[in-house]
Amino acid sequence: MPVTKVLTQGIGEADLRDMKVYRKRGGYQQLERAFKQMKPADVQSACERSGLRGRGGAGFPTGKKWSFLPPEIRPRYLVCNCDEAEPGTFKDRMLLEETPHLVLEGILLGAYAIESHHAFIYIRGEFKRGYEVFMEALAQARKAGFVGKGLFGTKYDLDVTVHRGAGAYICGEETALLNSLEGKRGEPRLKPPFPAVQGLYSKPTVVNNVETLAYLVPILEHGPQWFASVGTERSKGYKVVSISGHVKNPGNYEVPLGTPMRELLEIAGGLRDGRTLRAIQPGGGSSACIFEEHLDLPYDYESLAKVGSMLGSGAVVVMDDTTDFVRAAFNLVRFFAHESCGQCTPCREGGHWLERVLHRFLENRGLRSDMEMLARVSHEITGINLCPLGDSIEPFLASVLKRFPEQFESRIARETFHAAQRDGH
Amino acid sequence: MADQQLVTVTIDGAQVRVPKGTWLVEAAKQIKREIPVYCYHRKMGPAGLCRICLVEIEGMPKLQIACNTAAADGMVVHTQSEKAAEGRRAVLELYLVNHPLDCPICDKGGECDLQDFAMAYGQGFSQSIDPKDAKPKAVDLGPTIVLDEERCVVCQRCVRFDDMIVGERELVLKDRGVRNIIATANGEPYRHNFTGNVTELCPVGALTSKTYRFKSRPWDLRRTGTTCTQCPVGCQMHVDVRVGAVQRTMSVESDDAISDGWLCDRGRYNVGFYGSRDRITQPLYKHGGAWMQVSWDDALDLWSAAIQEAIAVVPASAGAIGGGRLTNEEVFLLQHVFRAKGIKNLDWRAGRQRQASPGKKSAALADIEKAQAILIVGESPAERAPIFDLRVRKAAFQKGAKLIRIASTERPYPAPIRAEDVTTAGQAVRALAKDIERIAVIWDGIEPKAIRELLEKLPQHAQLSTYITAEQPNARGAEALGMLPFFGPGYTRVSAGFDTAAMFAAARDGRLASLSIFGANPALHYPDAPLVREALERTAFLAVSDLFMTETAQLANLVLPAKAAFEKTGTTTNMAGDVLPVNAAQSLESPSDALSDLEMVIALAERLGVDLPLAEELDAVVLRHLAQASEEFTLGDDRFVFCHPEVSKDPERRRGDGSAIRVETRIFAGGGTSAHDARIAELRCLPEAAISKEDAIEFGVETGDYIDLSSGERTMHDLLVEVRPGVPQGTIVLIGGLPDGPANLFGAGAVEVSNIRKDLSREPAGAPA
Repeated sequence: MPVTKVLTQGIGEADLRDMKVYRKRGGYQQLERAFKQMKPADVQSACERSGLRGRGGAGFPTGKKWSFLPPEIRPRYLVCNCDEAEPGTFKDRMLLEETPHLVLEGILLGAYAIESHHAFIYIRGEFKRGYEVFMEALAQARKAGFVGKGLFGTKYDLDVTVHRGAGAYICGEETALLNSLEGKRGEPRLKPPFPAVQGLYSKPTVVNNVETLAYLVPILEHGPQWFASVGTERSKGYKVVSISGHVKNPGNYEVPLGTPMRELLEIAGGLRDGRTLRAIQPGGGSSACIFEEHLDLPYDYESLAKVGSMLGSGAVVVMDDTTDFVRAAFNLVRFFAHESCGQCTPCREGGHWLERVLHRFLENRGLRSDMEMLARVSHEITGINLCPLGDSIEPFLASVLKRFPEQFESRIARETFHAAQRDGH
Repeated sequence: MADQQLVTVTIDGAQVRVPKGTWLVEAAKQIKREIPVYCYHRKMGPAGLCRICLVEIEGMPKLQIACNTAAADGMVVHTQSEKAAEGRRAVLELYLVNHPLDCPICDKGGECDLQDFAMAYGQGFSQSIDPKDAKPKAVDLGPTIVLDEERCVVCQRCVRFDDMIVGERELVLKDRGVRNIIATANGEPYRHNFTGNVTELCPVGALTSKTYRFKSRPWDLRRTGTTCTQCPVGCQMHVDVRVGAVQRTMSVESDDAISDGWLCDRGRYNVGFYGSRDRITQPLYKHGGAWMQVSWDDALDLWSAAIQEAIAVVPASAGAIGGGRLTNEEVFLLQHVFRAKGIKNLDWRAGRQRQASPGKKSAALADIEKAQAILIVGESPAERAPIFDLRVRKAAFQKGAKLIRIASTERPYPAPIRAEDVTTAGQAVRALAKDIERIAVIWDGIEPKAIRELLEKLPQHAQLSTYITAEQPNARGAEALGMLPFFGPGYTRVSAGFDTAAMFAAARDGRLASLSIFGANPALHYPDAPLVREALERTAFLAVSDLFMTETAQLANLVLPAKAAFEKTGTTTNMAGDVLPVNAAQSLESPSDALSDLEMVIALAERLGVDLPLAEELDAVVLRHLAQASEEFTLGDDRFVFCHPEVSKDPERRRGDGSAIRVETRIFAGGGTSAHDARIAELRCLPEAAISKEDAIEFGVETGDYIDLSSGERTMHDLLVEVRPGVPQGTIVLIGGLPDGPANLFGAGAVEVSNIRKDLSREPAGAPA
């Protein structure tokens, strides 16, 4: 079995929320070593050499993201994005709730690497327990002198501010998150300028995902080579995958990138007995479905992109032959339409329109022309939005519309209704 | 800017050279290629929301928005390619899915960007068969604006205008996603001096003016370009007329030099008075205490005879006041005719102001944006020259200028406009950076001592621009053209006559036989109303030309019906010295017997036997004098101080026990015209009294209470109290020019506060705690 416990090590075995337990297992040693023996540039270089890519969804190389910071402007901010809300994703929540000190150590290491003296963590509003757990961990760390002034006897001050979101999916988008953090409406910003140049409070800012930052700890512990030696050529290291849907044992599993899809299914206990696979969403609600012919694909960024889908945040949703794909499509489109901030037109109007039409399908009032409209409009609103939310509507809808047209056709209205509509109802 | 690097982009095959960083949407304008936009605005920059300005750029896989893509060297852009057209078509289809398409009853119909773009770039049909979302159609946002939520395309131009340009942040976006809607912060009425601009910024018919709703179709309007003459800024504007009446005024977007493309609410909404039934339609002569209508012939005979009689005895017994509301040509001829008859008592000043020409350090309006520090002495331009105030806000908010108000008793600027309030000139100068290079000073032209003190203390190495915000639109023109007792046209020195104060003093003593007042209402605006009343009542023959029976006109012997700004042609001079055209609006009907002041003066000249310059030479003569700003005076020049002993020193000084009155301007206080349009009644001020925190405690009042003020036997009722920081103890700030509560009622007398109560009932509130 390829399940490897790196970040997830000790979860379920020991109470890692207790700082003593965490430290006994080697916790905060990397932080201390970094502060005492390494320069920020060393941490940055280790991260770069490890090949770590952002685990929030976009998969952008983390070291490269850091390198965009203009060297001369201070202060800089590190923001940890813990607004995990992508449908199907629940890995950050587990890390936050189960191993908060690892998350904090990752944040502190990241902040040190980019020479930031103030880090923020933006926690999804619904993560009440995670928030409480993290606050407790932060208090313990502060007491131990890992957060605050003059860390580890150096002159380096580093504080961490915790901010709770208010339930908007869009605030997971980094610039909307920054707006929300500043107390403004959670709306993505027009880019450029990018956050690395003008981010939080108009200062250079790096926004990194929880899992990304947490991986800094093992990378420093085992060395960048250890991380880079795992995975495929461009998808290095490990990934916590949230597997859900029609499998026997849904849950979070940490695997090396490049693990074949088929093995991922097996790790989660496989399909329920007597069921056959219909589709898999491999990278959260925003990703297009892959199908049984793709089961031998390695689970990495490139392979999934090659077949028109994506690894995204690492949320694998498995759907068997009991799935109503019209309802599933409606469910996701409704989600995106509901979560659209509404500032730009294609996402606001397009999502709402698609949702309304799909709702008619649910009521068996679809039109044949609607099927063409669903495909056309969802495609037309893709790629012309201010942020990626609007682009998230098409992949799933288009892939199931193409693969399972009969499910949509079966919901087309009787001819009489059809005609009445056409006659200008 | 000279140091800007130029780049070459190819747009639809044409090469365009633009400064590096120019947005493609602007670059395309150079080849007259319109790229459609809703959210982008030249003065506010890109927002990236409407997604209609999609263009194809070679080498980029996705369509890009032209509003937020900077022109780069070698970039090849296609606005008309199939891909770009397809992108625009798709976006437009989405706009119409929920749009009500109620064009037949929409005021914007015919000048709507959604209509126009749908025609130009849309597909002509819709695949949407589901019912549209119903939303409120007539949301009352405040006294001026109504919102139709269904028509709104959520471009947020209005929200950004309120944020970036005005700084008031009253309009906000509410809710989320497809329910996004424009609203006011906390549901408060949308109310500031610039609200009407959002109706022009709105690309669709979502935001409409209450005064223009359902009034006209754009194609039925006759449009005339002219200059707004309601304040000394001189914004360029369009006047739209239908059925003989002004339907609306619109800004001129390209007017970067004067208005910056905006209009204030007074310029936009105070236009209903043109058709008011209160207009004077015929000359009126007061005979035996009653008004009788007379012909122009009789009126002119009476008028000229009175002047002749007066000067036959002693030329110093005749005089004229006014000119700040006339055109340059009118004011020039006016002083020409009177001076030709040996009359030296000429003064445009009829209110609190003493000086309108900044002299040698005068600067263009737009230059204030270059200032690193802006110092305001006296009243700020916020209410006296609102559109100029937008430039002050722009300098402070967008360009980082330091804004300092000295001894201001006004309300603070809105929070995003950082202004510092100091009490002395010394503090202001100390707040400036040592190496400051460019300073702008704005003065209200009233109190010379404070401005002189500041000018002396300013660092000498800095480049100085000075501005005076005048009470009357053409005050600077009136000064430059000789409507002053000590300056002739072009600031030439003349042997001095009486200024306004001296004329009133002489009149009070029965020494003025003939006084002519042109477009001025000193009974309401001059600091001492009791004095003015007494003086005008004792003037043997008072002729007043005006639009309405003002407080001053009622004291006259002869009232002459004048034409208003949109009814006549000429030029006006704004506070920066720009000479701007005043054009009679086409198809506008004026009261049958009204004459322009020019026509009156010409007719008067004929009867007085004064030769006039040839009509065709008048323009050139006027321009020559206006160009002659050679006089080396500066702000607070001694010559401009009223010479009459009793009011010369300080008309606002405290005399006796009680509080002194200080007066401030509001754009809708009165001005004599806004009172004559019921549609804007809600915009007019009610009497208010701003007092200091210390006085509030002493009097036992708080903000929101009502008080009466009295001095001797004069009482002003029902003033709403505002406790305001910055107001010195012992001072009460009143709104000037309010017909219902004239701030000049008490003259220089000290006033007492009485009848304190929580609401407008006559009963006093319980004893103060």
